[in-house]
Amino acid sequence: MKHWLRRQRYLADFTLAALARRRVKNTGLIVIYSIIVFVLASAMMFSAALRNEAGTVLAKSPELIVQQLVMGRHEMISGSEIEKLAGIRGVASVKGRLWGYFYDSVNGANYTFMVPDDESYALQPGEAILGGGIGEARDFTWDTAPLFVTSLAGKMVKFNVRETFADDSALLTADLVLISEADFRSFFNLPPDVWTDIGVTIRNELEIATIVGKAQLVMPNARFVTRSDIERTYQRLFDWREGLMTALAAAGVLAFAIFAAEKASGLSAEEAREIGILKAIGWDTGDVIAMKLWEGGLISFGAFLAGTVFAYLHVFSFQAGLFEPILKGWAVIYPDFALAPHVDGLQLATLFAITVIPYTAATLVPIWRAATADPDQVMR
Amino acid sequence: MISLKTVSKLYNEGRPNEVCAARDIDLELARNKVTVLTGPSGSGKTTLLSMIGCLTRPTTGRVFVDGDMVSGLPEKFQTELRRTKFGFVFQRFNLIRGISVIENVMLPAAPLGPEYHELRERAQNRLERLGLGAKADMPVEFLSGGETQRAAIARALINDAPVLIADEPTANLDTVLTERFLEIVGELQAEGKTVIMTSHDPRIWQSSHVNTVVRMQDGRIIGVDA
Repeated sequence: MKHWLRRQRYLADFTLAALARRRVKNTGLIVIYSIIVFVLASAMMFSAALRNEAGTVLAKSPELIVQQLVMGRHEMISGSEIEKLAGIRGVASVKGRLWGYFYDSVNGANYTFMVPDDESYALQPGEAILGGGIGEARDFTWDTAPLFVTSLAGKMVKFNVRETFADDSALLTADLVLISEADFRSFFNLPPDVWTDIGVTIRNELEIATIVGKAQLVMPNARFVTRSDIERTYQRLFDWREGLMTALAAAGVLAFAIFAAEKASGLSAEEAREIGILKAIGWDTGDVIAMKLWEGGLISFGAFLAGTVFAYLHVFSFQAGLFEPILKGWAVIYPDFALAPHVDGLQLATLFAITVIPYTAATLVPIWRAATADPDQVMR
Repeated sequence: MISLKTVSKLYNEGRPNEVCAARDIDLELARNKVTVLTGPSGSGKTTLLSMIGCLTRPTTGRVFVDGDMVSGLPEKFQTELRRTKFGFVFQRFNLIRGISVIENVMLPAAPLGPEYHELRERAQNRLERLGLGAKADMPVEFLSGGETQRAAIARALINDAPVLIADEPTANLDTVLTERFLEIVGELQAEGKTVIMTSHDPRIWQSSHVNTVVRMQDGRIIGVDA
C-alpha cells in the first residue's frame, strides 16, 4: 500500500508538471470545459431549485381546496358550507381561507393579502408579516418599517410589521402580506362568515376521489381542486420550461461531445513522444495510463468543480441572470424573488457522469494506442 | 550475455512502404565490454539497438539476455527488463522539457515507488558524479549540449542497470565533449557495466575504450572487429 501511494505521488507530481508544461493549452481546455459544465449545472440547479420551491408550496397546502363559482368565476363562499363539508366521512378538518390580491399603486406592485391559518403566525389587529420582496419593492431602509396601504374604502391603513419571511420560502412568500382576520375583513370590506375558499384536509389521501364525489353532491356549483391537480399544473409549467432547458442542455452535451471527440482523435506529437520516452525508460503501459488518468482527472474534476461552483453562484446568488428570460418567465412575480439554495445530489451525480466520465474515457483511447505501441515506434 | 539469433526487422510490414531494417542478424555481445555498432545512415544500427534493448520486437529471430529469450516476452516483462537491465541514452537525449534535471533523472525509477528522499539522493549522487550536481534543480532546457548528454547518462544509470545502451550519443557534440563521454564510458566499464552504442563517428570506434566494433550495411552485419 505504501509503495502504491508513493508511486501515485510520483505520477501525480509528474502529471502536475505535465499540466504546467502545457499550461496555455490546458488552461484553455479547462475554461471551455468549465463553461460547458456551468451551462449544464445552471440548468439543472435552476430546475431543482424551482421544484424544491414548488414542493415547499405544496407541502403546506391542504389536500383539497373548494371554491365557489358563479357564472364560471371565482366568488366568495359562505361559511355555512364549511359545516356541510365537515360532515363528510373521512374529512379531518375544514377551514375557511381568506386571501386576495391588492395592487399597491404607490410602488406599482401586486401583493397577496392572506390570513394565516397556522397558529404560529397568529397576528394581532394592526400587525403584519411581509414577504421579502415587498421590502425591496418599497425600497425600505429597514425591514420592519410600517406598511401603509389604501383600503378598498379609500382609507389609509397602517400595519406594523412584526417580521419578514426568510428567503427559503421566497416563491411562496415574496409578495405575501399576512394580516389578522379582522384587518382583512375590514380592509377588503367583507361581511363576516364569508371566505375566499375552503381548505379541506383528509384522513386518507387515497379516498380523495370518493370525498370529492360526495362534496360535489353537497356543493354542486363549487370547484374542487386537489393537491394532485396543482401538482399537475406545476408539472405542465415545468415541462414546458424544461423543454427549453433540455434544448439548452442538449446544446451543452453536443458541445461536450465535440470537445471529447476532439480529445479522442489523438495526442499531440509532443505528448506521443513523451509517452514513448517514458515507456523507453521503463514505465509500463499501466504507469502511462495512470499518469494520463491523473491528468484527465485533474482537468475534468477541476473543470467540473469550477463549473458547478460558478453555476451555484449564478443560480442562487445572481438569480440565474443569464437564463432568467427563458427559464423564469412563468415565475416572474412582482416583487422579484431569489431562489432558495437547493442542490439535488442525484442531478450532480448525473452531471458528473455525463461530463467527467466521458471526457476521461475519451482521453484514454489515444493514450492506450500510444502506450501500447513499441516505444521505438512512438519515438520514431 | 546478449545474443541475437537470425534476427530480422520489417517496418510497415505488408504495406507498400515496407522496409527491412535488419536482416538475419546473428550477434553475441559479451558482458562488461564496450561495443559500437557502426555504419552509414539506414544501415540498421538503431533498429538493432532497439531490439537489443526491448524497445521493439524482431519480426523474426530471437533475442536472448543472460540466456533467457526476451524477444517473445509479453509487454509487462519487457518493460521490467528495460527498467532493470538497460539504461538508455537516446540520440537527441530525449529529456523531458519543463521539469528539472533531477526530476528527469528520477523518472525511470518513479514507477518502482521508492522512498522519495532516497531516490532524490540517488539521483543527486549520479548528477554529482557526472559534474552536474549544481544544476540538479535547473530546468533541462537551460543545459548545454554536453550537460544534456550527461543528464541523459545520469538518467540511464538511475536504476543501476548493468547495460547502458546509447544511440549516437556524441552526434551533436564537439571533440572535447566526445572525449569526456568516452572517459565516462571507460569509468562505467571499470565498474563492470556493459556498454552498447551506435555511432558513425570514427573518434568513437577508434577509441581505446571500445572493445568491439560491429560494422553494418543495408541491415546486415558486414564485419565484427574485436
